[in-house]
Order: sequence, then C-alpha cells, then structure tokens
Amino acid sequence: MSRLLDTGLEQLTAVLFKMGEVANRAINVAVQGFLEGEDVGDEVHELSELLVAMTVTAEDKAFELIVKYQPVASDLRIINSYMKIAYDMERYGRYAWDISFTHRKLAHCKECVQSSELMNKITEKTLQMVGTSIKALSDNDADTARTLAKTENEVDEIYSAYLDLLSKTPPKTKCLVCNLLVVRYLERIADHATYIGESIVYIATGEKLSLR
Amino acid sequence: MNENTDNAKTSNGQNSVPTGIKIQTINLNAWFAAKQALKDINLSIKANAVTAIIGPSGCGKSTFVRCLNRMHELVPGSRSSGKVLLDGQDIYSKEVDPVLIRRRVGMVFQKPNPFPTMSIHDNVAAGLRLTGLKKGKNLDDVIRHSLEQATLWDEVKDDLKKPGTSISGGQQQRLCIARAIALQPEVILMDEPCSALDPAATAKIEELIVTLKEDYTVVVVTHNMQQAARVSDFTAFLYVGELIEYGSTWSIFENPKSELTEKYITGRFG
Repeated sequence: MSRLLDTGLEQLTAVLFKMGEVANRAINVAVQGFLEGEDVGDEVHELSELLVAMTVTAEDKAFELIVKYQPVASDLRIINSYMKIAYDMERYGRYAWDISFTHRKLAHCKECVQSSELMNKITEKTLQMVGTSIKALSDNDADTARTLAKTENEVDEIYSAYLDLLSKTPPKTKCLVCNLLVVRYLERIADHATYIGESIVYIATGEKLSLR
Repeated sequence: MNENTDNAKTSNGQNSVPTGIKIQTINLNAWFAAKQALKDINLSIKANAVTAIIGPSGCGKSTFVRCLNRMHELVPGSRSSGKVLLDGQDIYSKEVDPVLIRRRVGMVFQKPNPFPTMSIHDNVAAGLRLTGLKKGKNLDDVIRHSLEQATLWDEVKDDLKKPGTSISGGQQQRLCIARAIALQPEVILMDEPCSALDPAATAKIEELIVTLKEDYTVVVVTHNMQQAARVSDFTAFLYVGELIEYGSTWSIFENPKSELTEKYITGRFG
C-alpha cells in the first residue's frame, strides 16, 4: 500500500531529476561555449536562474514533507540529502554562469584554450563527474557515487598543476589568469559532484563518508 | 537479537550487571496460557534514561513492561521464564515480595485511572497510606512534592479536595504519574501514557517524561513513532514477541540496522 508520504517523495524526486537535467545542460553549454569561443552567456544565465527557482521548489517540498509526515530512517535520509543535492545543483548552475561570464569578459579565451592540454583534460573530467553524479542520483547507486572520489582527485591535480604554471610565468598573463578562473570554477563543480556522491551513499547505506 | 548475557554472581549472590544498567532481562519469555507473547528477550535498560518500547499491536510491548514489575503474573493463566534483574537482583526469585517490586517499579497506564471516589489529594496519598504514612505534614509534603514533580501542583493546589476525576484527561494522567511518584519508585513504566490525550496534554506528558529521567529510570510503551523519537534516549523494537533491534533512539530512527525496523518505523507495515 502506498503511503501519503510516497506521493510527496515522488514529487520531490521529480524536481531533483529535472534539476539534474537542467544543471547538466547548463554546464555542458557553458563549457562548450568556452572551448569553442562562443558567447553562450544568455542561455547559461537563464538555466542558472531556473535552477535557483527549482531549488526553492525542492526546499519547500522537503519542508512540507517534514512538517506533514515527520519522516524517519530512509525517508528522512532522502529528504535531508535531496535538500543538499538541490543546493549542489544550484551551484552547478552558478558555476556554469561564472564560466560563461568570465569568457564573455575576457573574449580571447579561445586562443588560450587551444594551447592547453590541461584545460581539455579538466573539462572532460569535470563533465564526466557531473554526468556520473546525476546518474548516481537517478539510479540511487552508491557504488557509482563512490567512483566520484577518484576523478575528483584527478581534477584537483590539474587545478594544482595550473597554479604551478602560474607561479612560473610573469605576472598579469591574461590567458593564464582567464584559464585559472575557469579551472577554479570547474574544480568547484567537481567538488559539488562529489558532495552529491556523498549524499547518495548516505541515502543508500546510511554511511556518512567523505569522498574528498 | 541477543545482547551479551554473561552475568556472573557477585559475592552477595546478586547478579552483576554492567555499569549504568537499571534493569536487565535475560532470556525472558512470557505466555498467556499456551500462547507465547515474549521470546527470549535479552535487553539492558539504562538507569536515568528513557527507553521506548515500540512495535505493532500484539508484538508483546505491554507484556514486556508488565514483566518488569511482576504485573504479568496477575493475569490468570499467564506465566513467564528467564530473569529480570533490578539492580542485579532477580525480581522473580522466591524470596522477593512482588508488592515491594511494584513499589520500586511503578506503572502508569494507557487510560488515566484516578480512583473515582477519591479527591486529588487522596489519590496521591492512596499508596502512601498503605505504606503507613497516614496523615500530617510529612504526608502533605510528599503529596505536594509529587504533584510538583508531575508538573500538576500549580494547576490543582487550590482544588486538592475536588474529585480526581473532575480535572481534564491530561491532568488526570499527570495525577496518576504523581500517584506513582509518591511511592518514590526507582523505575516508572508507562504503557501508552498519551494515547487517550489531546496534543496539548500529550506535549505536557512528554515534557514530564524527559524531566522525570533525572530522578527515575523511565520505560515508555508507545505506538507513536514521533513520540518515541522525541522523548526517549534508547529504543527497542519488538515484533511478534521478539526483540528485533535495540539501540540509541537517534540511530534507530536515522539508520536502523534491521530491515524490519526500517519498514515498521517508516509506516510500511504495522
């Protein structure tokens, strides 16, 4: 027999899954625009704002379920974690917009990117992590979620390598700073992918672990 | 589920129990005629804490708490086996007087049951008079203290001569708690103490339960999961007479180890 709470959880889950789609698109559009030298800021900004609104919807629904049904055990873990994941999705959107905004302000990024193997590598890794976090969410798959830790380490290493590069070059190097900013945002996106992974492990197993 | 039941005898013949444990049941079984209500319950109840007993109807919750002060044996055809240690003493051993056990382990029932022909004052005094404290300042002091501990004094201090049944249901239940407290028990058992009360009265009893653990060990049977989560420090889940899971209330309600517990507390059965 279905519980009244189940209907509410289904609605909350639907909002989260939709946020996953929107966030994934926002990041992919922003990254592709950056790599190909196109100004995609308007679309990314719109997607980012949509994620902000959807976060409010998700939080309202979560609070409603807590007030109405006083959930416990796996129900409580789901609601608690979905609120965190909604925030992570919102941050995905925000960082996507930061990438597009940076690209718009520093219009010669394309030339910088073409000469950067590291940039191609970190964008590939980060997009992979975003996809993995969203798939783990939709499948409620703790094993997939745990794999995020390894890729995040690789992203962090690239970020660190960029800082090393910066330290070896003359100051005020425009392209390097531009790339550094983008790398920084990508690194933050990767962090949030990991946070989502942690939440999914908690939902599925009750284990509170740090994948970072 | 079995807890560690290695209980050695101390030099005075009592069973040693882990520090901080007020009551320990060892392989406790109970029957109503041929029907077994409890099966090998091994559970340690911590002193000065609230332990909630949860489980679906007929799982043995009430039978369990009634075994803790030998009220179960008052039911015709009932019997039990195993041990119930109160501070290490087996309350079912032959030399133990069950009346004294019921003084040390008081009981508050589901429905408020003040003595209908007695005043508020006399309801609290009833048990005391049986112990020889007939009247006078000492009696009045104990009555006042008991009513204060039950957070009822301010509401009834000017109406002590009125019938115990003249006050609200919630007040009557606190009167019954005061009556139990008056005998200065060490343990208070509560069998669904709020099931007949409205939300406001329930909230007052819940606040009282949390306060009482400073001076008493409290065991509460409840059907209300949120109530168990709110008031108790430890929770035991019973199912068809067996102890399925026991642990800190937060661990039980956040991440139960048993799938059966998970299904019950999330409302998927029961």
